[in-house]
This record gives sequence, C-alpha cells and structure tokens, in this order.
Amino acid sequence: FASCPRSQTGDPPPSSAFAPSEMLLSSQSYTGQILQPTYSPSTHLGYADGFDEEPPLLEELGINFEHIWQKTLTVLNPMKPADGSIMNETDLTGPMVFCLALGATLLLAGKVHFGYVYGMSAIGCLAMHALLNLMSVAGVSHGCVASVLGYCLLPMVILSSSAVVFSLQGIPGILLALFIIGWCSLSASKIFTSALAMEGQQLLIAYPCALLYGLFALLTVF
Amino acid sequence: AGPGTMSAPGAAAAGGGRSGSAAEWGGFEDNMQGGGSAVIDMENMDDTSGSSFEDMGEMHQRMKEEEEEEEGEAGAAEEEDGEFLGMKGLRGQLGRQVADQMWQVGKRQASRAFSLYANIDILRPYFDVEPVQVRARLLESMIPVKMINFPQKIAGELYGPLMLVFTLVAILLHGMKTSDTIIREGTLMGTAIGTCFGYWLGVSSFIYFLAYLCNAQITMVQMLSLLGYGLFGHCITLFVTYNIHFHSLFYIFWLGVGGLSTLRMVAVLVSRTVGHTQRLILCGTLAALHMLFLLYLHFAYHKVVEGILDTLEGPNMPPFQRVARDIPVVSNAVLNTTAKAIALTL
Repeated sequence: FASCPRSQTGDPPPSSAFAPSEMLLSSQSYTGQILQPTYSPSTHLGYADGFDEEPPLLEELGINFEHIWQKTLTVLNPMKPADGSIMNETDLTGPMVFCLALGATLLLAGKVHFGYVYGMSAIGCLAMHALLNLMSVAGVSHGCVASVLGYCLLPMVILSSSAVVFSLQGIPGILLALFIIGWCSLSASKIFTSALAMEGQQLLIAYPCALLYGLFALLTVF
Repeated sequence: AGPGTMSAPGAAAAGGGRSGSAAEWGGFEDNMQGGGSAVIDMENMDDTSGSSFEDMGEMHQRMKEEEEEEEGEAGAAEEEDGEFLGMKGLRGQLGRQVADQMWQVGKRQASRAFSLYANIDILRPYFDVEPVQVRARLLESMIPVKMINFPQKIAGELYGPLMLVFTLVAILLHGMKTSDTIIREGTLMGTAIGTCFGYWLGVSSFIYFLAYLCNAQITMVQMLSLLGYGLFGHCITLFVTYNIHFHSLFYIFWLGVGGLSTLRMVAVLVSRTVGHTQRLILCGTLAALHMLFLLYLHFAYHKVVEGILDTLEGPNMPPFQRVARDIPVVSNAVLNTTAKAIALTL
C-alpha cells in the first residue's frame, strides 16, 4: 500500500511533461483522488471541451481584486499593522494603475512626465532591491519590491491631484508634500519590515524610501 | 537493475508517446494539418524545430533521457524517429542544432552573470547597522577628537555614507529646482548624481592613494566611510543656505559647520599617520578639497536670482554672468516680481 501512491504519482509527470499547464494544475488539484483505485487519468484529457473548464480570465491573469483592495487599505492606513504574507504574491496591476494615475494627474496639471515617472520607478526599484538584499537576511525578488513601492505611490497621486487645484510652491504646499512623503515612506517601510522580518530597522528602510518618494514629490511640485 | 527496469517502461512510454502522440494530442494534429485555421502556432507545429528556448530546455531533458534509452533499444524506435523526422526533413534538424548551441551559450552566460551578481554579497557586512548607531555616528562626525596620539577607531560602515550622498543629491536637486538653474548639456539628475558620487568615490580614492604614499593606517572602506560621514556637514549647510539666501550666513556655516566636519576627519587621519610632513600633506589636501567642494556646491548649483533670467535675454542685453553678487536684504518674491516687471517692459 505504501508503494501504491508512489508508483501512481510517479507515472503522470513524465508523460505530462508536454501537457498544457491547465492539465498539470488539474492533476495536482486531484491529489486527493489519486490514492483511490477508481481514479482514471482520462478525465482531464478532454482538451477539445476545455472551454467550459477554463478558469476565468481574471484568475488566469492573476488579478485578484480582493487582494488589491486589501493592499490598498494597508497602504492608506500606515498605523495598521501589516500582514507579512500579503506581499508573497507579485502583483503588478495595482502599481501599474497607480503609476498611470500619477501620470494622468500630472497631465491634468499641465506636465507631461510619463517617462520620468516610469524611469524613476524602474531605477528606484533596482536601487531598493539592491539595498534590501544587502540589509536583510532573507532576500527579496524584484517583483516584490516593485509591487510594494508601486502600492505606496498612492498618496503621491493624492498630492498630484491637489496640485491641479492649487499651486504647491508655497509653504502649505511644501508642508503637504512633506506629509505625503512621510506617509508613503512609512507605509512602504512598514510593509518591507513585516515581510522581511527586519524589526528595529524600519527607520533605516524608511529613509531611502523617503528619498525616492521625495524625487516624485519634486516632480509633482515643480 | 533498478534504473534499467525503470527506463524500459519509460522508453516504451516515450516510443509509444511518439506514435501515440498523434492519437492523444488530437487537437495539435488538427491544428497542424487542418486547412481551416489561418494562424499557425509555431510552438506546437514541429516537435523538432526548437523555436523557443523553453522548448529547448525541455528538449534537452528529454534528449538526455532518450540517449540513455536509445542505446539499450533496438532500431524500432529509431525507425520511428527517422520516420517522424523525415516528415520535417533536414531543416528541422539543423534548426534544432543551432537552437541547441544558442541555448548552451545563453545558459553559460546567464550563470556567469549570476555569479558576478552574487558577488554583491561581499558588501553585506557593511550594511549591518542599527538606527541608533547611525544617529550616533552622524553626531560624532561633527565633533573633532582631541586625542591624536593613538589611532582613532573608524566604523567601516557604508549605509550611512551612501544615504548621506543620496541626501546631498536630493538637496542639490531641490536647490537647482528652486533657483531655476538651467543645465545646458545634460540633465539635472545626472549632474547632481555625477557630482556627488564623483566627489565621494573620487576624493576617497585619491586620499587613499595619498595615505598609501604617506604610510597612513587606513583602509579603503574606512576612507569611504569617513568622507561619507564628513558630507553630513555639507548637507546641513546646503539645506539651510539654499533656502535662506544670505551670503554672510553661508560663510558662517561654511567656516563653522564645514570646518567642524573637516577638523574631525583631519584629526582622525592625523591620529593614524606618523611624521610631520606626511600629516601635513594628507590633511592639507583633504581639508582643502572638502572645504572647496562646499564652496563649489553653493555657488555653482544655486544661482542667486538677482536680475534678468537667461530666457528673457534680448539682443542688447549684456551676457548674463553666473556669478553671485551681493544683494541687499530683500525678500526673494520682491526680487522676482521686480525682475519680471523690468523684463516685460523691455
């Protein structure tokens, strides 16, 4: 009995090396039934009628609105303790939307700076990735860093939309910009420290994030 | 006996897989030979064309398994293989070999690049700091030490200096933006980063070289750390004087704050050098470079708005000189509006 499941689980992988990923996924999700002798491997070979069994488009693309909303709420409330596991999945749709929103609000204020936004995000992600890998025991991936930094760009969108209404080049504008920079960098450092288990070094992570978001604020204000 | 018995059913499965592939993957065969679809899926069309690298990787795996199996097998499987290849001809095989070679080269280059990247880990111990330590070192960098008779300890840490250089870049950018400085060849960001990093790395290397000549006991990381923390005074001075435009204030900060951080660096170096001439050379050079850099940063990157802007230059205007002149104590807004009013009337 002990060898039974092993030989049965050993069989599918070589033949399914060229199977479409959908079949692999469905065979893994049926692990419970593999141990039963009545399991027939022919149930998941119906490729012709796979249209009904395909996962929904959003699920296939990896866009999960619930998670996006949760992460947005985490960013908007820097005092709320972050759950370290929510950053395990690399989700770049939220950050993309926020970058586009920043570019759009800058456009409303008369500045066409899409290239600058993308360039600074890319270089900032690379630099933060290098720094975080040097400072933490566990490494991070580029996707995770890009995802976190992109989500924490949301308050900057608020700053640039307020720049549409009034000019930020006075004392109240500078104070608002400083407040937004602090908000962004606190959220980002909070998520990084909870995801990488780097308690006590939150300020050390917050400062480079503040410099990066300060660059975005410079773009917005001037 | 174990691998042999395992490979036999595997070979049968693979051989059966080849001839039975047409039966199992009925969908693919239809796509390949059906005349209905106008879109040809290159990936699935030909097993042996190897048009994508992912397929090459899997093919490599399969080829390795096949090689073990083919040796122990009769020509039956080979005949089937030949038949299968015969359908696609020589072109498929040639393409497969070329793709195979490219896969190998690419894999080798990628692993070499990866091992090079992994070398960044040698910098890891220099970033292991606590916020309290950074704050303490920042404050210490402004306090000159009194005891120069035995070598002073220098923390070999790179986080603080790196952040200070980036802060200096940010302050320079802020200063350039508030004063509408126009850089004709290059970008604002590039100039700021180039200046600050160039100073930090270049002057550190130069002083390290001089220290080597003068037999001073200092390593490269320590020199980088020392000079980096010495930029703290520069950051404070520039932050204050880019926002409050009084010349006398700048000179007071230059001598006071700049002087303190220079004195600290000089004292540390003196404690690590033996001999009067060597101490003089080393510390004189460092002091001169450090103080002159602060002077340069103030005057080159923050044009004091005192007259007509560059863009409003008319044919009978004298060429605008980017030299700071003493201005009376008037608010910046009044100056700006006056300048614009004068320019508009011309």
